[in-house]
Parts: sequence; C-alpha cells; structure tokens
Amino acid sequence: MEPSPEQPNPTIHQPVRLKIMAALKALPEDAQLEFVKLKDIVGATEGNLGAHITTLEGAGYVTVEKDFVGKRPRTRVTLSKAGRRAFEEYVAYLRDILDTKV
Amino acid sequence: MSLTPNEAAAALRDIESAGRRSGQAFGYRMSAPHLVIWGIVWVVGYAGSDLVPHLTNVLWPAVVLVGTIASLVIGALTGRANKVGRAGDGWRFGLLVVVFWVFLVATFTLMHPGPRAQGAFVPLVIATIYAGVGLWMGLRFVLLGAAVAALTLFGFFEIQQHFYLWMAAVGGGGLILAGLWMRSA
Repeated sequence: MEPSPEQPNPTIHQPVRLKIMAALKALPEDAQLEFVKLKDIVGATEGNLGAHITTLEGAGYVTVEKDFVGKRPRTRVTLSKAGRRAFEEYVAYLRDILDTKV
Repeated sequence: MSLTPNEAAAALRDIESAGRRSGQAFGYRMSAPHLVIWGIVWVVGYAGSDLVPHLTNVLWPAVVLVGTIASLVIGALTGRANKVGRAGDGWRFGLLVVVFWVFLVATFTLMHPGPRAQGAFVPLVIATIYAGVGLWMGLRFVLLGAAVAALTLFGFFEIQQHFYLWMAAVGGGGLILAGLWMRSA
C-alpha cells in the first residue's frame, strides 16, 4: 500500500534506513556503495545495517550484489529506481511539513 | 503517524549529513587512482628534469601523454566498475589536458618564466584547482591543494640546488600519498 501524503513512508522513516537511503541517493544513478563504506557513513553495526538493508531490499528500494575480490567477500548496495522515487517523495513530505509551519 | 516540524527538520538534517558524507567519500575514491597516476608523472618528470636536464623537453610531453592515457583507461575501468560515467567522458578529459597544455604554453610565451619558475608555476596552478574543487568536493582536496602550494613555494625559495628533486619527492610523492588517503575514504 502506498503511504498517504499525510504520513511518512514507514520503510524509509526509520533513522538508520533514512541514512542508508540518503547516502545512496547522493551517488550518481546506478552507482554502488560497498557495505563497509555504508557502515562508516551510517554509523551502524554490521548486524544492524544488514537487517535494515534486507528490509529496504524487501521493499524493492535497494538491490544488493555480492561477489568476491580475491578471497575477500564484497557486498555492494544500489538504490533502485523505486527507491529513488520513494526517497524523493519522502523528502518532499518533510519539506511540506516545514512549509506548512511557515 | 505524522511528524512535527522539529522532527521533519531533524530528519532533513540527517539526510543532508549522510548525503554529504557519502558524496564526498565517493568523489575521494573516484579521484584516488588519478592522483596516484599524476603523482607518478610528477616523480618521473621532475626527477628526470634534475637527473637528465637535456631531455626535459622530450621527457615532460612523454610522461604527460602516458599519464593522460593511463587516466583515461583507469577512468573507464573505475567508471564501469562503479556503474558511473557518461558517454564522452574520455574525450572530454583528453581535451581538458590539451586545454591545460595550451594555457601553459600561452602563459610561458607571454611571461617568459625561467625553468625553475616554470617548474613551480604548474604545481601552483594544480594546487589552486585542487583547493577550489575542494570547496565543493571536500576538505581533503583543500588540504591537498594547500600542502602542494606550500611545499612548492618553500622549495622554490629555499631549495637552491635540486629543486626538481624536491618537487619530485614532495609534489609527486605528495600526490601519491594523497591518492592513497583518498582511497581510504
């Protein structure tokens, strides 16, 4: 169900997920961000970040790609088109609240 | 559930902060290999200017050409790996190098600087560009520009012999170290 304009998107609204989405939205379209870099930016533990990424992936807002660099596993996250759109709507929702206040 | 204006403002601040950190770190990482490449170009060019001065006029165009090609290749590879980059980025970068080269030739023709001044002028221009770019892309570029400018000026005024070796070490070496620093972002 699409959130109504009067309510924040509950998937994005959670603080850690909000930072994940903001970090990904700041990159060029289709650019990937490594899990370890995302952890630094968001300031979450690995387990916590992993759980929130799974939630965002379930909502179709991010895609996750896992591979190996040599023997080192690597996880990269990308903002999907649906995620980009949902995030933009969420930011517009926040701005509307502030504009209404004025 | 609805948000108060204070909660909305706090959420927007979080978004701005996370976005800025992410964008800066991405810019740093994309720039890193190019800094290393041009650091190597400076090391070879300046060290060559000191050790085999009669080859300077051949050496610099050669190392700049190699550096340009290496940057183009690395740019294409990192762009593909990160799924960024637009069609035409390659020829634009090549053209940028040509424009910069023409600028230097025109400036030297007008002002007739001596070899030492030429050797200091180019790093100062580069340092200015880094510092200016840093105003948008992050503090690390500002610090890099300030460090290159300061070390260049110090060498120009204080290192009477082997100024080019100084520039190879602190200019070229500095760019390489800066590249490794950016890579860690």
